[in-house]
Amino acid sequence: MSFQNLKTFDPFADADKGPGEAVQDGLVHIRIQQRNGRKTLTTIQGLSAEYDLKKIVRHCKKEFACNGTVVEHPEYGEVLQLQGDQRENICQWLTKTGLAKPEQLKVHGF
Amino acid sequence: MAEEEAIFDPSLKKKKKKAKKTPFDFDAALAGGTAGNESAEVEVGKENENPEEEEIKDVDDLDLESFGKKKKKSKKKAFPIEDLEVASPEVEGQDGEAVEDQEDLDLDFSKSLKKKKKKKITGVVEEEKDEKEESTGVAWTTDGDYTYDELLNRVFNIMREKNPEMVAGEKKKFTMRPPQVVRIGTKKTSFANFSEICKMLHRQPKHVLAFLLAELGTSGSVDGNNQLIIKGRFQQKQMENVLRRYVKEYVTCHTCRSPDTILQKDTRLFFLQCETCGSRCSVASIKSGFQAVTGKRAAIRAKTA
Repeated sequence: MSFQNLKTFDPFADADKGPGEAVQDGLVHIRIQQRNGRKTLTTIQGLSAEYDLKKIVRHCKKEFACNGTVVEHPEYGEVLQLQGDQRENICQWLTKTGLAKPEQLKVHGF
Repeated sequence: MAEEEAIFDPSLKKKKKKAKKTPFDFDAALAGGTAGNESAEVEVGKENENPEEEEIKDVDDLDLESFGKKKKKSKKKAFPIEDLEVASPEVEGQDGEAVEDQEDLDLDFSKSLKKKKKKKITGVVEEEKDEKEESTGVAWTTDGDYTYDELLNRVFNIMREKNPEMVAGEKKKFTMRPPQVVRIGTKKTSFANFSEICKMLHRQPKHVLAFLLAELGTSGSVDGNNQLIIKGRFQQKQMENVLRRYVKEYVTCHTCRSPDTILQKDTRLFFLQCETCGSRCSVASIKSGFQAVTGKRAAIRAKTA
């Protein structure tokens, strides 16, 4: 007697690392760039490839009420772009959700 | 839970105060007395957000305690410790409610002391929360075992006593002239005393320039009168922030924080050599990282094509 169908899929198979545990390695660089006028752009570089950046950006856009996108870069991998100065917001959000530890965040710019 | 604690703690403290006195080192009392009280007071202030007057009361209380120590010492020694511990809670019970607030305040003080004591006498740690509190322990020297923190505090105190100039050196801040930042037109910013500041930092303008441009994510150059022209609008305050970060990373020694350092390039890596303490450590190379396209894409396309 075997319940094959109960065994086939383990939803936690890829979750053995635990939430926010050593998935993120290396620094997350948060930069700001000036655009025309008073407009600015925030880039988040170095988030782990394990994360679904599209999902993150979708959430951030709602949370911070700004637009944003994911840009693929040959050297730096996927980079988040958010409109406006979201450095504070994204720092808080990343630590709150446990995606990155505060010491892994490196904020650049003025 | 909180209430329980409040009721429970006073007894802890009383016990401690009495127990603590028995094996007290006279020298240690003299040396540690003032420092200990101070730090205890700081801790108290941090953890409890009670009105100030209560804190003052608390200080008085502590002072009295340390004062009394010397006299009581001899008497208390005669008592077996177990007796004291059993007896004190009863005493506490009577006045416990009245001075609850006060007792609460010197909780840290007493607990940390108690903890050490307990270890010595019985070797048994009664409660876990004591353990947590231990890290905030006062540098109180009793006979026998010191914690690492105590020893560290002590050695620093000795160092300060022996050479006061070092203390002065510590306090002597590394001052810099503020950067003169002026807007040129609407889109450019001039950093007028750029070369002067580079000279003050003993760094090559090239290096400082690379850092500034990477951090600000813009482009710029040094013009004929040695002033730096950066693209974008920046205020003096913002430039100060960036410069401060530069100084922290590439000027002050990471070990002793002295600004008297030399930046050397060695096999493609930058090393910071300290003239004061002789330490040598590598510093991160300047990378501008990802740069998003902010200009007109059409113009870029026209250029490349």
